[in-house]
Amino acid sequence: MEFVLEIILNLIGFVVGLAIGIFAHVGFKSTGSPTLFRLTIAFLSISIGFGVVWIGYMAESLIIHEGKIVPWVQTLGIGITTVGYFFIAFSHSIKSFFPKSRYFKSIIVPLFVIPGNSIEHIIRSISFILLIYGTIETIMSYMENRKGSTIFVASGLGLLALGEFLGWYSVVFPGSLLYFISISTKIVGLGALAVPISKVPLMGMKFGGSL
Amino acid sequence: MSIIGDILATTRDDTPDETGASVTYLIRKANVSHSRISKILETLVQQGLLEQMTSERACKYKISQKGREFLQAYRGFREFADTFGLRI
Repeated sequence: MEFVLEIILNLIGFVVGLAIGIFAHVGFKSTGSPTLFRLTIAFLSISIGFGVVWIGYMAESLIIHEGKIVPWVQTLGIGITTVGYFFIAFSHSIKSFFPKSRYFKSIIVPLFVIPGNSIEHIIRSISFILLIYGTIETIMSYMENRKGSTIFVASGLGLLALGEFLGWYSVVFPGSLLYFISISTKIVGLGALAVPISKVPLMGMKFGGSL
Repeated sequence: MSIIGDILATTRDDTPDETGASVTYLIRKANVSHSRISKILETLVQQGLLEQMTSERACKYKISQKGREFLQAYRGFREFADTFGLRI
């Protein structure tokens, strides 16, 4: 069951990331916008990261049969995905990523310290922070533009963040429901991210060379 | 990028007459300096997005078919960036 959910999650992540990444790339080629370039890198990284983990799970279930994905494959995939989350956060300006507030540090630092024995969990922590940052910035944008599609993106990023957090926290309670809830949450989050792109008016759009 | 969008939108939807929009009119609509808009207009004409209409009194600009297509695509991608809370 765990393998099936992971395969579904990573396949959806790969497809959604690829679709948004290609759309952003077409936009960048047509307009030369740096924002769209960063979104291209972000979503293609997210897609590749999910794709790597998906290949890892498929290889395990079809060829290796050890009952567990090769750890470095999982770490590599999560690392590449985190690069994608970084570029989403970077697009919103990274200036407040390391605030000077002691209170804020007291919340952030434990996320790095507690799982310090594992590279994978450190990367998950970074993903969580970047996703939260992206979520907050997107919510703030929603407060300005009041567009329904923006709240879908904010919800998607927020659910991915929650999924990452639950996935990280499930280390404390191995074998519990937390892990399944984590994967399900991430699947819903990816679905929410895919909603806005389906609403973009692509009909009749023609794409030429860059400006 | 948004200035280009504003210029193209003005030449498509908001020209004072059929001969096109003058530089002065575009400066007022896009809210940019003369030197800056001159460079942008030159680029847009070179790229085939605008057509330069030379008359006795002044140069006027009209949007081309390619410009219309670009503007439509630009608006779609701006909408896309908006959904992420970003500006194109």
